[in-house]
Amino acid sequence: MIHDFTYLKPGSLKEALAMYAEHDDCKVICGGQSLLIVMRQGMISPEYVLDIKHIKELDYIKFDPKDGLRIGATTTHREIEKSDVIKKNYPVLVEMERKLASVQVRNWGTIGGNLAHADSAGDPAPVLIALDAEITVGNKDGQRTMPLEDFFVDYFETVLQKGEIVLEVHVPAPAARSAAAYQKFNLLESDMGIVASAASVTLDENGACKDVRIVLGNAGPTPRRVKRAEELLKGKTYDEALFAEAGKIASEDCEPVSDIHASEEHRRHVLGVLTKRMLKKAWEQARG
Amino acid sequence: MNKYTVINPHEPFRVINTHVRNIDGIAKVTGRAVYTFDVKLPGMLYGKILRSPHPHAKILKIDYSKALEIPGVMGVVTGKEDTLGVKQGIWRRYKDLCDEQILPVDKVRYIGEPVVAVAAITEEIAEKALDYIDVEYEVLPAVFEPMDAIKKDAPEIHEGFERNINVTRHIEWGDVEEAFEEADYIREDWFKCGGQAHMCMETRCAVSSYTPDGKLTIYHSNQSPYYMQALMAGVLGMREGDIRIISTYVGGGFGGKFELDGAIFCSAVLSIKLKRPVKIVYTREEDFIATKRRTPMYYYTRTGVKKDGTFCAREAKVFTNGGAYTGMGATALYLTGFFHSFPYKWKAYRYDGYRVYTNTLPSTSMRGFGAPQAMWCSEQQIEWIAADLGLDPIEMRRKNAHEEGTIIPGQATIASCGIQQCFDEIKKWIDSKGQLPPNRAIGISACGFMSGGIFNWFDTPYSFSSAVVTVNQDGTVELNVGAQEIGQGSNTTLAIICAETLGVKVEDVKVHSGDTDFNPADLGAWGSRQTLMAGNAVKMAAEDAKRQILEFAYAQSGLNIVYDLDIKDRWVHAIARPERGEDFVKVVRRAIRGKDGQRIVGRGYYTPHRKGMISPAYSYMLQAVEIEVDEETGKIRLCDSLTAHDCGQPINHLGLIGQLEGAFSMAAGYGYLEYMPFEDGKLMNPNLVDYKVIRATEMPPANIAEVDTYEPEGPYGAKEAGEGLTNPTAAAIGNALFRLFGIQIKECPIRAEMILKALKEKREKEQQGK
Repeated sequence: MIHDFTYLKPGSLKEALAMYAEHDDCKVICGGQSLLIVMRQGMISPEYVLDIKHIKELDYIKFDPKDGLRIGATTTHREIEKSDVIKKNYPVLVEMERKLASVQVRNWGTIGGNLAHADSAGDPAPVLIALDAEITVGNKDGQRTMPLEDFFVDYFETVLQKGEIVLEVHVPAPAARSAAAYQKFNLLESDMGIVASAASVTLDENGACKDVRIVLGNAGPTPRRVKRAEELLKGKTYDEALFAEAGKIASEDCEPVSDIHASEEHRRHVLGVLTKRMLKKAWEQARG
Repeated sequence: MNKYTVINPHEPFRVINTHVRNIDGIAKVTGRAVYTFDVKLPGMLYGKILRSPHPHAKILKIDYSKALEIPGVMGVVTGKEDTLGVKQGIWRRYKDLCDEQILPVDKVRYIGEPVVAVAAITEEIAEKALDYIDVEYEVLPAVFEPMDAIKKDAPEIHEGFERNINVTRHIEWGDVEEAFEEADYIREDWFKCGGQAHMCMETRCAVSSYTPDGKLTIYHSNQSPYYMQALMAGVLGMREGDIRIISTYVGGGFGGKFELDGAIFCSAVLSIKLKRPVKIVYTREEDFIATKRRTPMYYYTRTGVKKDGTFCAREAKVFTNGGAYTGMGATALYLTGFFHSFPYKWKAYRYDGYRVYTNTLPSTSMRGFGAPQAMWCSEQQIEWIAADLGLDPIEMRRKNAHEEGTIIPGQATIASCGIQQCFDEIKKWIDSKGQLPPNRAIGISACGFMSGGIFNWFDTPYSFSSAVVTVNQDGTVELNVGAQEIGQGSNTTLAIICAETLGVKVEDVKVHSGDTDFNPADLGAWGSRQTLMAGNAVKMAAEDAKRQILEFAYAQSGLNIVYDLDIKDRWVHAIARPERGEDFVKVVRRAIRGKDGQRIVGRGYYTPHRKGMISPAYSYMLQAVEIEVDEETGKIRLCDSLTAHDCGQPINHLGLIGQLEGAFSMAAGYGYLEYMPFEDGKLMNPNLVDYKVIRATEMPPANIAEVDTYEPEGPYGAKEAGEGLTNPTAAAIGNALFRLFGIQIKECPIRAEMILKALKEKREKEQQGK
C-alpha cells in the first residue's frame, strides 16, 4: 500500500519551484498515472509529494506556423488528443495519444509527467524525438532547453537535477513534404508497447529523402535513434527493399531485454518489422 | 452492438424472458451496495499477513516480539501457537484431501503462503509490523512442474503422497481396445494448457467479529456463505449455528471464492484472540500470488475414427499442476476428463487423470471447471482429424454429436440437446461472411457444460438448494434463498422464477440472500448450479405459497370442481374464464386472516436424484471466432464471433447476454492473453500492468444465437448458461490459426512468438519438400 506522505500543493509555478528546492525526498506528481503505481508497489515511498497538476501556467498548447508547437508540462494526454491544431499539423501525435492507455488515464495523465517518468516503453517520447522535439526544464534559479533525445539517461532516469521540473515540450514547425508515423506492438490496443517504432521522413522537391529520423521505443534503457539506418536512407528515393534494410538495421542497433512478454529475439524481429512499416507509411504520407 | 437472435422461442411467459433489469442494479450503480470491502465496524482492527518468500521450506522459528512493541499493534497469530495445525479442505468426505493448514505449523509449500497474521489499529501499522517479524526458514528443494514432481527422486511436498500424486481419477466406458481396432485412422497429440487468474474485481476480503458470548459474525466476499459457515465451524471447532456469514454483495467469484482463504481464516482467528472485529483485504498482488488459479494441464489424447468420420474411441491421460494444496482441484480433474468426451458419442472412452502436487500457487476450480482445457485439446484435434481425412469439420462434428436421449454409459443421460440447430446457425453465419481478407480466418469449436454438480464430497446433510417464499398482506413477497449473488444475476433470475410462478410482478419480490442467519442452506454459486437447482427450489416454494392462496380462493369462488384457478399479473382467476377473477392483494389479505393472521409461507428444496454421476442437465454450444493475424509480428486480433447456444429456456435474457459476453472475454483471455509465467515458483506478473485482461473498450464482438430447447429437469425448462461459454474459445482461435496458416499450436495461451515459430517451421518444411 502507499505509505503516508506529506502532500504539497503550491499555488503557482514560482511557489512550486521554491517548494521543490526546499524539500528533500520529494517527488513531483503531475497526474500520477505512473507515480502512483510505483508508490503503490512500494518501489518508492517519498516523504513529500509535490502536486503541480493544477498549475495553469503550464497547461497550454500553442502553435505558430514558424515557431511550431509548444505544449506545457501539465497538459493532459487527452487535451493533446483532442487538439485541432495538433491534429492538423502533427496527426501522428493524435494517433499516438489515442492508443496511450485508456481514456481515464489520458484524462488525468500529463505530457510532462509522462516524459519525466522516463519509462522506456512510454509512447510520447519516440514520436516527439522523431519530430525533433526539444524539452525545457527549470528550477527556481533558471531554465535550460535541450533536444528531447538528450533528456533521457537510463531506465526511469533523466537529466533532471534536484529542484528541476519539466516545463515545456517544443516541436518545430513541420517541414514541407514531411510526415511521421508511429506504431507499437502490444497484445491489447491500449497496453504499453512491448516495443515501438517511430519514423519521420522529409522529402526534397525530387522526392528523395532529405531528412529522416527513426526512433525505437522500449528497445533499450532510453528511446533510441537508429542513425545507421537514417544515414542509409538519406538522399535515396522510395524503395521498399531499402525500408526492409533499414528495419534490419533497427533490429540490430538496439538492446532490448527478454522478459515475460517477449524474448529479446522477438523484440528485435518486431522492431525491424515496425521500422520498415513506419518508414513506408511516413514516406508515402510525405509524398502526399 | 452485439446481435442476439432467438431460434424457435417458446410461448411467451409473463415474467420469464421479458426485459427485466438486474434487481441489484440501482444499489450498485448508486454506490449504495455495501460490499465486504466497504464494511467498517466500531473498534475494528486491520489485519495483514506475512507470507512465505520460499517455494518450499521448513519453518524453524518465528519471532514477532519486535512487532508487538510497535504502538498500535494489537496481536499476532501463528500456526504453531494459535491454530494448532488444523487442516482444512472442501472435500470434507475425504480427510486426506483436507491438506491445507491456512497458517502452517512447520512447513511452507508455495511462495505467498500465509505464515503469520498481525492485527493493528490501522492498515499502515499492520503492514509495517510485518517488517518486524523474523521467520527462520530451512529452505528445501522445490519442484514446480508436474512432470518433474512425479519423478522418483523429486522432493516430497506432502508426506505420504508417493511421487507427489495428490489425486487420480479414472473414467471408462465401452471396450476401448476393440473400438480402436474398428478405427481406420488414429491420431495422438500432446497439449499443454495454461493457468489463469480468476481476477475478481473485489479481491479476497473479510471482516470477522467475535463476541464474548461465543458468536462469530463474518462479512466475507464469497460464492457460498453456507460452505464458509460450515468450513469455519470445522476449523474453529465451533457449531455452524454460532457462525453467521454475511455476503450480501460480492464483486465476482469465477470459481475462486468457495474455499476458505487467508482473509477469512486469519481475520477470524485474530478476532477470536483479540475480541475485536478484524478486517483483512487482500491487495491485488496477494490476490494473484496467494489464492488459487485455473489448473494448468499436460494433456495426451488419442482418438480413433472411421474413414467416414464416425468417432470410435478416445483415450486421454492428463497430468495437472496441482500446486501446493488440493482445493477444488480434484473436481476439476474429474470434470476435465468427462468434458473431454463432449459433446460427442464415443463407443468407448477412457480417461486417466493425475493431479500432481508442486511448489506453486495451488490450482482449483475456475469458470469452466476443467472443460476449457479439455476443449482446447479435443476441439483442435478433431479439426485436425477432419483435415487429415479430407472431411468437412462441421459435418464431421454434427454426425457424432449428442442428441436427446444419448446415454453416456455410467455417467449421464442427455435429456435436452439443441446442438444440431447450433451447427445450422454457425454454418449460416460462416456462409454469410463470404470470402474473408487473406489475413483472416474463422475457427469453430463445440462444447457442452453441466447445470450443477451431483456429487456431495462436501458431505452436507442439507438439500442442495432451498428457498422460502413469504407473502405479505399487501401482496409483496419475500424470497429467502441460500443461493449466492456474485454479480452473475442470480437474485434477478430467482426473482423472475418466483414472480412467474406466484403470478405477481418482479418488482413485488424482494430477494434476501447472502446471510446464513436468515436464509436456508444452499451449496452456493459454482458449477452453474443455481438457475437449475435453486431455481427448482424457488419454483417449488412459490408453488407451495400459491397453493395456499388458491385454497382460499377456491373455497370462496364456489366454482365447479372441474375448474382450475391460477394467478397471473396479480390477478386470481379461473383459467377457463380469465375475466372472472379477483385482485391478488385482496385474496392474500383474506387468506392471511384465514390463517389466523400468519403470513403465507411456502417452502421449496431441490437435491438431484438418479441423474447419473455429474449433473442433472447439460447445455450445448458451438462457437465461431473470426481472427486476424499479423503474419510478420504474430499478433492476433479477434474481429468477430457468433455463439450458437442452447441453455434450454432462457429465464433472464438480459442476464444471459451479460453472462455470455463475460464468459467470452474470459475465454478469449485464456486463449491468447492471460499467461501466468512462473520463475522458480514465483509468479512474474502479479499486477494488472503485466497480466493481460481484455478491457471493456477492446471487447471483441460477441453475437449470440440462442437455440431454445426444453430441459425437463430444469425450472421452466432452463439449464446452464454463462460458465460453459468459457470452454470453446481457445480452441476456436487455434482452429482459426489452423485454417489460416495450416499451423497447429499445442500450447495455450497462444503467444505471438509461438505463431511465428510455427510459421517458420512450416516454411522450412516446405523448403525441404522442394
